[in-house]
Amino acid sequence: MAAGASARDYSFAAEYDGPPLPYSLPRAIPLDLSRIPLAALSSSPPASPSASSSPLPVVRPLTPSSLCSAIHAHAHPAPRSAAPAPAAGGAVVDSPTSVIENHHAAAHHSAELPSSPSDDEGAGGGPEALPLKPRHHQPAVTFAETSGSLLQSSDDEDEYEEEEDEDADAGEARPRAAAGQSSGSLSPAHWRGGRTRGCYRCGKGGGFWGRDKESCLACGARYCVGCVLRAMGSMPEGRKCLECIGRPVAESRRGALGRGSRVLRRLLSAAEVELVMRSERECAANQLRAEDVYVNGTKLSPEELVVLQGCPCPPSRLRPGFYWYDKVSGFWGKEGHKPHCIITANLNVGGSLDQKASNGNTGILINGREITKSELQMLKLAGVQCAGKPHFWVNADGTYQEEGQKTVKGKIWDKPIVKLLSPVLSLPTPNKAANQSGEDAVNIVNRVIPDYLEQRTTQKLLLVGSGASTIIKQAKFLYKSGKPFSVDEREDLKLIIQSNIYNYLIILLEGRERFEEESLADRRKISPSDPSSSGCCESGVCDEVTEYSLIPRLKAFSDWILKAMALGNLEDIFPAASREYAPLVEELWKDPAIQATYRRRSELPFLPPTANYFLDKAVDISRTEYELSDMDILYADGITSSDGLASTEFSSPQLSLGGLGVDESDAQDTLLRYQLIRINSRGLHENCKWLQMFDDVRLVIFCVAASDYDEYYEDANGTIVNKMVESRQLFESIVLHPTFEQMDFLLLLTKSDLLEQKINDSPLTSCDWFDDFTPLISRNLLSSSSKSTRSSTGATLPQMAAHYMATKFKRLFQLLTDRKLYVSYVNTLDQESVRLAIHYGREIVKWEEEKPVFGASETVYSEEPSSFTH
Amino acid sequence: MASVAELKEKHAAATASVNSLRERLRQRRETLLDTDVARYSKSQGRAPVSFNPTDLVCCRTLQGHSGKVYSLDWTPEKNWIVSASQDGRLIVWNALTSQKTHAIKLHCPWVMTCAFAPNGQSVACGGLDSACSIFNLNSQADRDGNMPVSRILTGHKGYVSSCQYVPDQETRLITSSGDQTCVLWDVTTGQRISIFGGEFPSGHTADVQSVSINSSNTNMFVSGSCDTTVRLWDIRIASRAVRTYHGHEGDVNSVKFFPDGHRFGTGSDDGTCRLFDMRTGHQLQVYSREPDRNDNELPTVTSIAFSISGRLLFAGYSNGDCYVWDTLLAEVVLNLGNLQNSHDGRISCLGMSSDGSALCTGSWDKNLKIWAFSGQRKIV
Repeated sequence: MAAGASARDYSFAAEYDGPPLPYSLPRAIPLDLSRIPLAALSSSPPASPSASSSPLPVVRPLTPSSLCSAIHAHAHPAPRSAAPAPAAGGAVVDSPTSVIENHHAAAHHSAELPSSPSDDEGAGGGPEALPLKPRHHQPAVTFAETSGSLLQSSDDEDEYEEEEDEDADAGEARPRAAAGQSSGSLSPAHWRGGRTRGCYRCGKGGGFWGRDKESCLACGARYCVGCVLRAMGSMPEGRKCLECIGRPVAESRRGALGRGSRVLRRLLSAAEVELVMRSERECAANQLRAEDVYVNGTKLSPEELVVLQGCPCPPSRLRPGFYWYDKVSGFWGKEGHKPHCIITANLNVGGSLDQKASNGNTGILINGREITKSELQMLKLAGVQCAGKPHFWVNADGTYQEEGQKTVKGKIWDKPIVKLLSPVLSLPTPNKAANQSGEDAVNIVNRVIPDYLEQRTTQKLLLVGSGASTIIKQAKFLYKSGKPFSVDEREDLKLIIQSNIYNYLIILLEGRERFEEESLADRRKISPSDPSSSGCCESGVCDEVTEYSLIPRLKAFSDWILKAMALGNLEDIFPAASREYAPLVEELWKDPAIQATYRRRSELPFLPPTANYFLDKAVDISRTEYELSDMDILYADGITSSDGLASTEFSSPQLSLGGLGVDESDAQDTLLRYQLIRINSRGLHENCKWLQMFDDVRLVIFCVAASDYDEYYEDANGTIVNKMVESRQLFESIVLHPTFEQMDFLLLLTKSDLLEQKINDSPLTSCDWFDDFTPLISRNLLSSSSKSTRSSTGATLPQMAAHYMATKFKRLFQLLTDRKLYVSYVNTLDQESVRLAIHYGREIVKWEEEKPVFGASETVYSEEPSSFTH
Repeated sequence: MASVAELKEKHAAATASVNSLRERLRQRRETLLDTDVARYSKSQGRAPVSFNPTDLVCCRTLQGHSGKVYSLDWTPEKNWIVSASQDGRLIVWNALTSQKTHAIKLHCPWVMTCAFAPNGQSVACGGLDSACSIFNLNSQADRDGNMPVSRILTGHKGYVSSCQYVPDQETRLITSSGDQTCVLWDVTTGQRISIFGGEFPSGHTADVQSVSINSSNTNMFVSGSCDTTVRLWDIRIASRAVRTYHGHEGDVNSVKFFPDGHRFGTGSDDGTCRLFDMRTGHQLQVYSREPDRNDNELPTVTSIAFSISGRLLFAGYSNGDCYVWDTLLAEVVLNLGNLQNSHDGRISCLGMSSDGSALCTGSWDKNLKIWAFSGQRKIV
């Protein structure tokens, strides 16, 4: 009984006792391990010391996925014939293409497995063909001069012969290969392109020499026309079977990358084939792997490879292998050979150059490398004195000098004969672009960079808050030398500025009317108590004139504008007719009444602080031929052509030319690109869905105008909100947004110039959030001059205020996230200040990347002993 | 000054009376609505739809995007799909071969929506650039393989959250936007024909997330918004919404007309899908999932689609589930998220092919998958 109970415990399927089914059920036949055909052990002793050359027995036919995984699992160090066991287990198919197909496949296999030996005969070449020779390809490490031709033959007919060739090559290349093998990366462990001509999916043989088959670039599995789409799916990385997606391509097939095949052309439309080929060429997984390239004996890091391939004059047809690189002159060649080409000099890649790098025996050194005979011939032709085995320094521009001497002896490339004869001796001549290293950094920025490089190297910085648009504009000026703004953009901005003048004016005129009424009302309040007013009737006229009154002509104009605005057709009149009215506008602006109104601008909440800048230049701006100055563009704050989003890209070299100097590591970063993205804070609210799109940014730069503390605005419900409090709410909602959970934040306090202007008139405590700001100001200084108010620590009042605000935000951030907030101060109208701020942002990104290496972090702006109490 | 205070008072009073009226309306509806679809069908003895886990299978995986997939749309005629992704590309797929036919790199990579024109010759997309860009698929790509934009529809003041062509009219397009409006565009001229909402008081009061055009009467469309309401609009009357549908307790992320054009379904942040009757304004059915035992936060509905008969409602959820609801009995038939080869990330968009033979799902795992029925069809 106990046995029965336990049996039920272990059963996981109840027996079906319902009505008979109208369809047949697929049945799983129990596997009998002893009946699974196992390949005979390979003839060579299993304990063969050279792991790579011992054959690996493989059973066929099995599903491609299982086969692939089996071989993949048993990578080259394990030549023991263990492969069949997992392969048999692999009868459980997990082909991702279709479940329907899986049914067939599973049924097919379960029925077929017991009788598979006979099946094999039909499909393959009989039992003796079963132990396949593994395809451990190391063709790419050979530097035989003929290696190029190997890769060119990728036509279907040649495929078979090609493999024979490679076998021959493999022997030659073995010494090198051993070195490569130690790193474990040069041999494609999953390669399974065997001799079998049958399709790896349906098992059908056919075609002549594998014609009408498409083979996987990574593992070499071949599929017939009927199966290729199922096995390869949507080919996101080109012709690779589904399980090979993400794996590197086999080096022997690299030459076939992006070359169309007959099979695909038969199956797909031309546009589809073209896109498959494009993704094959351009996707990241198919690119050269950095660990396969050795420069001066050192394995490259991925960044170094990017630097190498992205430089203005990269080595042509870079393939896995061992190279030497002369950083000073830019000479580049295969290890043990003479220079092959001249690439951009001073790239920080690989190790240091070895004297024996090019295997020369002439005794003459160039930049520490012993040169070859043909090079010596060339030097002689160039008229260089080579007696006494001198040691030369050759620079990137071809100037050379003897070691230890200062004088430049001449230029190698000056003689035309050198350039003529170099190809004869198969020596390289400098590329035109080669000598422009560093100087033409702009070209790097504007050059089209393949997507896979771009994705790897672009870092996104998100800008939010007030003043962000100005920073974007400054960044455009800083990093887009040439044309930061297109003609269209300028034209748009010009129109906006021109019509905005009238908007500013209307705000002023409305304010004027209000002030005039108020002052008249005030006067009337006083006048009844004034005894003299009763008798004087002509002074009644005088009474009507306040400092806010306009002369009749201007009054008429102002009434007309206000009427036009009330009717809502201001937009129709103004950009069109602004030139005619420009003098009137200027007269109006200069009128004492308007100036008096302007002095009370703190009571006009809608008047932007930049209004006077533009109104001062009203006549100039209204001209049709008016050209925007850079300053105008910067001042046009809050009016950007696309009000949703703006972005600009730059790369770092120009950055590092800034105040902090070029440090050593910056040379590495020449290809790192930064993208500044500004988003409009207007659309931001809690639970803002589209912020999810920015989960790939590296840093959020949150801008807060330091001068906002005493400014208010009226929200939709009519409540008056302090702008600083509003900024704080926005800050909180962004910091707490799930997308930015682990994001670093940089707070930029902008408009410190305005803060300086107003801090003395309007105390910081006028903002509720800052009510505990009590700066310690020594009394004698306070009395001496209010402008240079200094505390005992030497900081001015505005500085203390800014510092206080920063601390407030830091505490808030700490409270919300338990992390540290980076803070910097910036004056957005000053280019240098913006440059430093962006540089700081960039440093943070770099720092955060390196942090795991260096351990605990500390913000650069440490909290100095504060000059205020809490 | 006094007048302003007076006006404010009046406004507050008016708002209060509107709210009380709305509440009365809701109560009245509740009393009138004595049943819902599920209860009625049960009383009629309708048999539930039942699927085996293998009846719906993923028959194609469209790989090729390098960012989250945000939106997809089928052509009405051909078996083509356009998808928009965070990698800043539109890809046009051939659903039969699962190959790409076009890959369009966008000027603004933050794309949120895409749509196929009725004739299948052009695609539209929109996103954070607040504009809707139209690409003609027959135009020649330039040297770098970039497709030229054939027209940009500008005028929205917020992001473009969704766009759809008016069926059978290549030149008409409706977009919804974060500026709380929907706009009907003339694609040939690039002009706005009418703006729905915005200044008019009956418009949405928050970002509009989604639109759906009635296929049997193309003058009517519905829009779902973050103000938790759905509004019905008549293309010919821009000044006011024909009807407003309340009921959801969170942002309405997705609206889709029922195939017969008399009802529409909605999916929302409150984790429910609902079915509304267009003409009476009644909420016919709520499709809400059981709250998880260990997780109190309900996954939100990101996108919905109806089967061609309307019997099945497909709903994508933020946790990667994709439920198949029986619309009549309000029972979950299947969860595509638990099947073999399902997505790894949030399902962000769903689309039913025009002949109803396949469902396409797009996900944050960067892939699109096409699902088809593989079981034996039983005539019920």
